Amino acid sequence: MTPSIITLGPHQLALEEPMYFKVELEGDTVVGLDVMAGHVHRGMEHLVMKRNLYQNITLLERLCSLCSNSHPSTFCTAVEDIAGIVVPERAEYLRAIADEIKRISSHLFNCAIMAHIIGQGALFKNVMQIREIMQETKEAIYGNRMDLAANCIGGVRYELTPELSMYLGQRMELMKAPLDELYRIYTTDPAIRVRTEGLGVLPRQEAKDYAVVGPVARGSGIAYDVRKKSPYGAYDRLNFLVATETSGDVRARASVRLREAQESVSLIEQCLTRMPDGKSCADILPEIPAGETIAKSEAPRGELIYYLSTDGSDMPARLKWRVPSYMNWDALKVMLKGERVTDIPLIVNSIDPCISCTDR
Amino acid sequence: MATAPKNLSEPLLQLYRINAGSCNGCDVELATTATVASFDVERIGCSYTESPAEADIVLVTGPLTVRVREKVLRAYGEVPEPKITVAVGVCPISGGVFRDSYAVDGPVDRYLPVDVNVPGCPPRPQAILAGIEEAVLLWRARRDGVLPPPVASQPHPEKGAVSTGVRGKMDFNPAACVGCRMCEHVCAGGAIRFNEEFTGLRFTLWHNSCVFCGLCRHYCPTGALTVTDEWQLAHRQDQKYHLTTQGIMPYAPCSGCGELLLPVAPELLRVAFRGTGREIDRLKSLCTECRQKQSIGGRRR
Ligand code: SF4
Ligand code: SF4
Repeated sequence: MTPSIITLGPHQLALEEPMYFKVELEGDTVVGLDVMAGHVHRGMEHLVMKRNLYQNITLLERLCSLCSNSHPSTFCTAVEDIAGIVVPERAEYLRAIADEIKRISSHLFNCAIMAHIIGQGALFKNVMQIREIMQETKEAIYGNRMDLAANCIGGVRYELTPELSMYLGQRMELMKAPLDELYRIYTTDPAIRVRTEGLGVLPRQEAKDYAVVGPVARGSGIAYDVRKKSPYGAYDRLNFLVATETSGDVRARASVRLREAQESVSLIEQCLTRMPDGKSCADILPEIPAGETIAKSEAPRGELIYYLSTDGSDMPARLKWRVPSYMNWDALKVMLKGERVTDIPLIVNSIDPCISCTDR
Repeated sequence: MATAPKNLSEPLLQLYRINAGSCNGCDVELATTATVASFDVERIGCSYTESPAEADIVLVTGPLTVRVREKVLRAYGEVPEPKITVAVGVCPISGGVFRDSYAVDGPVDRYLPVDVNVPGCPPRPQAILAGIEEAVLLWRARRDGVLPPPVASQPHPEKGAVSTGVRGKMDFNPAACVGCRMCEHVCAGGAIRFNEEFTGLRFTLWHNSCVFCGLCRHYCPTGALTVTDEWQLAHRQDQKYHLTTQGIMPYAPCSGCGELLLPVAPELLRVAFRGTGREIDRLKSLCTECRQKQSIGGRRR
């Protein structure tokens, strides 16, 4: 049989972002894949060097809005490292809270879209409705449902008053039963299992070879999580399990995400009880000397690395990223090979690709 | 803004989304208007379509990257007339934080006619719905060949309603501003401009470039900038360049030499000194040079 080549775009792939694939097919089986990238390329490397360090806090939050808190918090960590700023302990907890809130929302969005692709309309709406608890919480505490504006150089620029802490605690309580229920549905429901088990498998060795990160790595049995391997901020004082699965299929990745969302709820609760009083931001206008550094964090999609170099002015001399989706989406080649063309959207969604991070 | 109540005799209008290179924030919020009961577009007489040929209203997100431009224009071209276009989020309206990049070719209205703008970054679903409601009114007027209903002078009562903690439009108090321009310096969207005019220093904030990040407020030493919870800012295209907040800080003559200077705001004195006495009050009406002369007795360089 001679292979044919088709192009798939966001509307066929059920993606929120413009991503296009050239897929090589034999009959209806995938034999080759080429990603056509760059549609969300906004020239970020160029833009960040035209903006000063303060402007970049806001600009970087818009690198991608699903992991929008990971970007400014990792960026600020890099600046603080260069300037030798010690972030107040309270701010470390407040940063962790913001990151974990975003993780829950991000993972739930991915699971919602998965239900949509499988054709489970009611479950899709149900997950989006549960996610609304998080959206409302973000708006009530931070003022926006996506971009929290939580970070500044030296700490955070939001406060959790006793009332807001109590509110957040109540909201987390509200999330527990639905998250348990979702985990049960996604891992045991026969209609979901039949579509997701054994599909889009990334074996452990290939996961290593492709250096995948985040839930994609953990779904293939690699317990790599920056929060555990090289703890930053408050994470060395918090207890949590790194969720892993071994089957490396679509089901495994969804299961990892849902367990992580449960862990995030517990992390937020721990932060609320352990967070000390005190300042939430160090000196407001610090000197930033010349220097260079690397900062990393565990974004919802996996390890996020920032490289920053400064020259003593308040403009960055260089700023560069390695984003999780970069490696993860390359490994789609392995996951898609031999699968049917109709399963492409489900497999692509299972790596939770972030195009705006990767195209920048 | 007038509302478009659901009219049972009217067919559902079809909405078509075009992502012109967004950070996905606006798109994720649009997804909630298709899935979350309280934001459902069906309540305002609309539904989503995946096919441009079926669409009546186009929703554009993102700053229009160079790479995606042709695809956007092709999809837009496939939508039949009469169509109404809504720019969702500040990206398509002004470029937002991504303006001035070689890779960004917006604002979108350089290439296609926009009818309604929904500022915000991302706007909350309620604001997006208000923009779509406006689009429905304009669409019907265009179909019927009549003039669109005038915009109500008062904002819709429940639409601008207070909902705790929402980061909305910024407000500015000229009496507290000392013209240090820190807000202009930290603003990623270039939304704030200062102009030196004959009578004073003019401050302008363009709400269609502002991403409501509140960083200007954070770094303002005197609290001249405040975040309000006014989020209902959807407006027709002819209002695009009118959505600003301005303020003038008048110059006053130096009580020593008469040269024009920007007086010190009491807010700054409060930050700088625990209390102000008669001596500080006297010195504050002087220019730097006269102040130096009068306080330490002459120029020392
Ligand atoms: S307006 Fe803001 S949220 Fe919307 S796409 Fe642009 S950067 Fe993202
Ligand atoms: S809130 Fe202030 S700093 Fe942020 S975009 Fe608006 S004007 Fe600029």
